[in-house]
Amino acid sequence: MELFLQTLIDGLLIGGLIIVVGIGFSLCFGVMHIVDFAVGEWVMLGAFTGFLLVSYFGQDPMIYLPVLFIIFFVLGWAIYPLIYRAISGKRHNPVLMGLVFTFGLSILAKGGALSIWGYHIQSITTWLSGKSLALGPITIPALRFSGFLFGILITLLLMFFLYKTKLGITIRATAQDREMASLLGTDVRKVGALVYSLYAGVTGMSGILIGALFSIHAAMGVKYCTLAFFVVVLAGMGYIPGVIIAGLILGLLQSFVGVYVGGRYNLVALFMVMYGVLLITPKGILRRGI
Amino acid sequence: MKKGFKLILSVLILVFLIPQFGLAQEKRDFFKVGVVTSLSGELAFGGTVTKRGYDLWADTVNALGGIEIEGKKYKVTLVYADDQSTPATAAVAAERLITQENVDFILGPYASGTTLALAPIAEKYKIPHITGSAESPLIWKRKFKYTFGTIPAVSLIAQASIQTLAKDVTPKPKTVAILGIDDAFSKFAAEAFKMSAEKEGFKVLKYDIVPEGSDYTPQVSAIKALKPDIFAMGSHEKAAIEMIKIAKELKFNPQAFVQHYGMTTPDFRKGLGKDAEFVLGTSVWTPNMKHQATLLFKNPKEYANAFKAKFGDEPEYTNAGSTAAGIAFQEALRMIKAKPPLTQENKDALISALEKLNIMTFYGQVKFAVEGDFYHCNAGLQPVAIQYQGGKLVEVGPGKLQVVAPKFPTPSWDKR
Repeated sequence: MELFLQTLIDGLLIGGLIIVVGIGFSLCFGVMHIVDFAVGEWVMLGAFTGFLLVSYFGQDPMIYLPVLFIIFFVLGWAIYPLIYRAISGKRHNPVLMGLVFTFGLSILAKGGALSIWGYHIQSITTWLSGKSLALGPITIPALRFSGFLFGILITLLLMFFLYKTKLGITIRATAQDREMASLLGTDVRKVGALVYSLYAGVTGMSGILIGALFSIHAAMGVKYCTLAFFVVVLAGMGYIPGVIIAGLILGLLQSFVGVYVGGRYNLVALFMVMYGVLLITPKGILRRGI
Repeated sequence: MKKGFKLILSVLILVFLIPQFGLAQEKRDFFKVGVVTSLSGELAFGGTVTKRGYDLWADTVNALGGIEIEGKKYKVTLVYADDQSTPATAAVAAERLITQENVDFILGPYASGTTLALAPIAEKYKIPHITGSAESPLIWKRKFKYTFGTIPAVSLIAQASIQTLAKDVTPKPKTVAILGIDDAFSKFAAEAFKMSAEKEGFKVLKYDIVPEGSDYTPQVSAIKALKPDIFAMGSHEKAAIEMIKIAKELKFNPQAFVQHYGMTTPDFRKGLGKDAEFVLGTSVWTPNMKHQATLLFKNPKEYANAFKAKFGDEPEYTNAGSTAAGIAFQEALRMIKAKPPLTQENKDALISALEKLNIMTFYGQVKFAVEGDFYHCNAGLQPVAIQYQGGKLVEVGPGKLQVVAPKFPTPSWDKR
């Protein structure tokens, strides 16, 4: 029973981290229809930037969460015109163009990080590292728990923004019908820039949490790219509330398969679920995706 | 018709002449050494470990004027090709070095998976290849004629720390749980832990293999629930760091943490800080060893000093194994008196020379096996158990190899 409860907690906490990575990706895809292959590289760049900030200025890495959001928001804003150029105009297949462009960005980011920061594996420590809460025989690692809360909080904030504010409603209108929104006076380019910047900010910010939990290196983004794809498929492409449920399901799946079936079957289980969802309910488990 | 004839004639001339130019024996007075290793991707850290070892060999040889063959010195030039941490790219990279760069021989990749992809290419083009890093026994079981390795297979060396825990600590631990990563090296490290644990009378409570890049928390939780005395991990450096971090988060307190590779690297120590203390591992070389050599570096200390002067870090056994791979080629070339560029006859003679090689280097004895399951592996080196004590790696066993007593049992996380 103890192991079952610990497995449940581990799964929920892993799910929290998956939510953190998947939420921005889902927003980006849902609103702009951009499949950003560089999602993992935003995480990696966030982790390295956090590492740099801590190395230069000291203090606890968690303090830099808002700083990272601002840095990556600005970076996203700066990059967006290039993406807009790649996906607009007389392109035959804008989604594919976006995919190719961001794939290039991802290679550039990986290569750039390797050139700038080298091959070393870096680590950062927060005041929460190594600390845990004990609930009887169950251990809840403090840093993972804060990652979980962070993921839920960001999702709720984004949902509030999208569903309860005028700007959010404009974004949703643009996602539903780009041309109609444009005809009604919405500057779709600016809306796109805002969404991409939000996505870059949130994902870059998550890098510092992931860097503190695991390790930081130029190739660390690859696995988060895969996870983000899993989340979006399971949640329903572009359906933000689904990300919480999808993240938690994926986390629990990894945890229970890892403990009760065997770690080597983890990826098999994840792929089976993803293919199953794509075959049976392509709009995601809640049937609310695109 | 005339035009068509001219066109066919031109094509025929091109078809026949171009390969002739390509195959024409180039003239040079230096050895061109191909190096395939991971300079980008997941294994870039390890790739750089091998690169540093190879670079130090080439720079030291060149500083002495080159490899001396019949009174004349020939310098070495390393031509690098990045395998991007993937086996398929390693094969393509090797093919490019052989067919386009016309390298004389190859110094091999960091990882076993990439080495297993490169070895058939070396076989196809009959070009000598020594890996200064790969440790998977699978490489040697395939009996490649043109591939050699300076580091013994992990299945021969990983047992040192388990033997130390069986013979050199009291009270003797009784149980072990093993977690390995699913790659050509790490799962054999895990398997070696399992075999040696069973041989030493430990009860194996759990043995699990997980894919690289997973979140290892559920597996560590499952192991924690079994309360093993020893937690043994077969992995490369990144997973080695992450598993210790997870164990600390989960307040998992076995009597001993055992790893193989990974814990020997400077990044492990830097990344974990004090949490690296008490972790046990295995090495076939440390700067404190007493080998006396006549080739290049006189002893491990001299090598360590040269390495530190060049790179600013302490060397570990994969750096040393990579440098030793260069020394093996150097001595074999001297034995056959081959001058650059090597002909196919020279390359075949080089293989025979490598098979006969028996030299003492700063790294220890280099003598490749010529039969059995470890064919062409430098299988004879004695592994030593090492442990982090006071931020430094010290030799703790087994038996007579002990320099400092192992610190055992590991204190719980809240008492460190």
